[in-house]
Amino acid sequence: MASFTLSVNGQPRRVSVDPDTPLLWVLRDTLGLTGTKYGCGEGLCGACTVHVDRAAVRSCVVPVSSVARQKITTIEGLSSKGDHPVQRAWIEEDTPQCGYCQPGQIMCAASLLAFRRNPTDAEIDDAMSGNICRCGTYPRIRKAIHRAAAIAAGRKS
Amino acid sequence: MSRTAPGLDRRTFLKVGATAAGGLLVGTWRMSGQEAAAAAPGRALALGAFVEIEPDGTVFVYSPRPEVGSGVKTALAMLIAEELDVDWKTVRVRQPSLLDPKYLDQFTGGSAGISDSWEPLRKAGAAARAVLVAAAAERWQVAAADLTTERGAVVHAASGRRLAYGDLVGRASELKPPDNPTLKSSADFRIAEKPTATVDLHDIVTGRITYGLDVRLPGLLHAVVERSPVLGGKVARFDAARALAVPGVRKVVELPADRFALKSGRPVMVANGVAVIATSTWAAMKGRKALSVEWEEGPHASESSSALRARLEKLASGAPGKVVRNDGDVDAALASAARTLDAVYEVPFVEAAPLEPVNCTALVKDGKCELWAPTQNPYNTRSFAGTALELPEDSWKTAITVNMIRPGGGFGRRLDTDYAAEAAYLAAQVPGEPVQVLSTRRDELAHSLYRSNGYHRMRAGLDAGGNLVAWSQHLANCSRYRYQHGQSPPEASEIYQDDFPAGHVPNFSVAYSEARSAIPIGYYRSMAPGATNFALECFLDEIARAAGKDPLAFRLALIGEGRELPYSNYGGPKMDTGRLRRVLELAAEKGDWGKAAPKGRARGIAGGFVFGSYSAAVAEVSIARDRSVRVHRVTSSVDCGRVVNPAGARKQIEGAVNDALNLALKLAITFERGRVVQKNFTDYPPVRMRESPPRIEGFLVESDKAPTGLGEIPVPPAVSAIANAVSALTGKRVRKLPIRVS
Repeated sequence: MASFTLSVNGQPRRVSVDPDTPLLWVLRDTLGLTGTKYGCGEGLCGACTVHVDRAAVRSCVVPVSSVARQKITTIEGLSSKGDHPVQRAWIEEDTPQCGYCQPGQIMCAASLLAFRRNPTDAEIDDAMSGNICRCGTYPRIRKAIHRAAAIAAGRKS
Repeated sequence: MSRTAPGLDRRTFLKVGATAAGGLLVGTWRMSGQEAAAAAPGRALALGAFVEIEPDGTVFVYSPRPEVGSGVKTALAMLIAEELDVDWKTVRVRQPSLLDPKYLDQFTGGSAGISDSWEPLRKAGAAARAVLVAAAAERWQVAAADLTTERGAVVHAASGRRLAYGDLVGRASELKPPDNPTLKSSADFRIAEKPTATVDLHDIVTGRITYGLDVRLPGLLHAVVERSPVLGGKVARFDAARALAVPGVRKVVELPADRFALKSGRPVMVANGVAVIATSTWAAMKGRKALSVEWEEGPHASESSSALRARLEKLASGAPGKVVRNDGDVDAALASAARTLDAVYEVPFVEAAPLEPVNCTALVKDGKCELWAPTQNPYNTRSFAGTALELPEDSWKTAITVNMIRPGGGFGRRLDTDYAAEAAYLAAQVPGEPVQVLSTRRDELAHSLYRSNGYHRMRAGLDAGGNLVAWSQHLANCSRYRYQHGQSPPEASEIYQDDFPAGHVPNFSVAYSEARSAIPIGYYRSMAPGATNFALECFLDEIARAAGKDPLAFRLALIGEGRELPYSNYGGPKMDTGRLRRVLELAAEKGDWGKAAPKGRARGIAGGFVFGSYSAAVAEVSIARDRSVRVHRVTSSVDCGRVVNPAGARKQIEGAVNDALNLALKLAITFERGRVVQKNFTDYPPVRMRESPPRIEGFLVESDKAPTGLGEIPVPPAVSAIANAVSALTGKRVRKLPIRVS
């Protein structure tokens, strides 16, 4: 056991856990932030995607000790009211089916848009192909990302 | 379908009562005579219902079936709200948590969510509306027939008076609802049959929805299980000392799965193992790694896909185990045919792999068990848990509570409820403490129930004019019904002998031979048709090409005008091939069938009758430089009768097409040395964004027929259309799934 003061969604959170505990389980079991999901445990499906600083990372394969000094953002902290352009676009496109993968998809898309304001279909495919949606909502995810880019640019509201 | 009936008679009652806040509560449910007698008027409150209207006007609608992502929670609520006549924007949709007879059939499977609920739920809404109208009539001293309703209010047009539902609930809750309330004409629908966004969107995109693994209870323990790597293996001995030394590990117990079976003999768990129960998921996982287990591999350690395939081949080449259908004289017709075709079509085992792996949370205390189960099948959840706890069957209803938790996808995996049996058993080892049992992805792939394999030997005979005069199909595979120890014969879960082209070929036979195996057989979205349509629709395509005919024209000629035929399998009792014709024509028209495909691409077409609905697809494919198949475009048509939520229906078509890519191109479970070979999404890779077709278009046939299912329907023909497109492009017939191009 070791103590870490993590920065999660802008708040300092003190946790006492094994240093090798994946960030995912610290978020879910220790901090009760269950919006970040478990899907494969090996960084293959993207359900556990969070932001570390601004980059999308797979929290199931990141030991908590390696992110103790960085800013961690989860789906719960992406926006205060659930109105991040990506979240708004997701609602406007009626994207989710079962919804389980969508927090990870949204975090990945938000990170993509932070680096590429207006991504092409090919860039979306590249950025999003690490995130599996078993319900097959990909066509709507693609459209929602374009829509989010437009919302962020103030082209649509 | 493996559907455990709630064990009640089929009488339907309408009932109203008061809610705790003085509101109106209306329900329709089946009660046994005993329960009906016990339900004195004053107890209506405790019975709950489908509609709750509070005095402040808040309308709660209870959508009874488990939402696994097919949109049933939205669509069922739309039906109730439509007949209640309220503003959809004011409706809050809830899912009743408790498995309860008054909510009819709380089950999601077989694409039956809408068709089974269409009338009862409309009646529930209409009954609520009727007592509100009656209460207003009484207050105004006018005839109920002179009143109308309008978005949550009763209106007396003659006097211009108007009362909001919330103002009427006090008196309305005392009135007897009609048994057969008048239902709206669909021309008056304002909610049903209008495109409607999914409920819960905001909670989903903010991560607030509670899925199975998100259940949090005070003192929650977490468990993982090291299961026998070999089918049917047992724990010879294990040493827990090192696992128990891991901080947070509370207990290590053996999971003697094979000790527990339903009365029928059906096992309620899949694999024996050793469970580690800990205060956190990670501690449980670390404890598991530290376990030392010796296995007794048992008699199935030599089971392999290649050996099983050899058995299937032998079975399908020999005399049939059972002739399931036999029209005319196939042998004579083949002998006198101008031309015959022989082909073998093969499909692998597949695992449904919902993104949230199977899991369940249970608390056992004072002889009672409470389950928080992400499930498609709350009835089996209860009976499997009761069996694992060795509770007498007559106590299950009172001793076991099932909270239905939203699952992260189902695709059939959550129709089986082995996870509930495991959770109940393990929770009983730590009485008074709730335990959440998690299957890792690797666990789920290795110890699941798999949609069955198939080896289809197909033969056809053409006359001199290229007409199909003889058809025979002999399927050899492992049977789900056999695994489930059901009452139905083993072939009934595996082959639907009345599928098209049955009834359209004079000499037609379907035979089945069963291969016994230790492999647990379960479900995958679209079940048997998802496997068999490939053999039927691709062999038809092959025959058409051999006859020098266009595959669509060939099918349409075979169907002719179309007619209603008896259909004895799931989705019957009738199949109308005229409706099949219509979906084929619609997909062909919208999918540019008959027009030249872009350079380097080809199109394929297929259709099917699936679970009472009709679907066809046109797929457009190319072959990439690495020889992988690229699907550029899929046009899918569906006739599922009336469509309650056209927006939800389009989403289901999009998802179903992507799942068709999984079956056509991606997924196969294989066995070696009694073990599942595939480990994780690396070697069991569902379709990803870059593989998903850039164009997926769904078209719904306008219909005034009663609604039938949709969630699974587009899958089988889309699989076959992709295969037929690849065959057309390469000139080499695809006869095995998943498709590999050399």
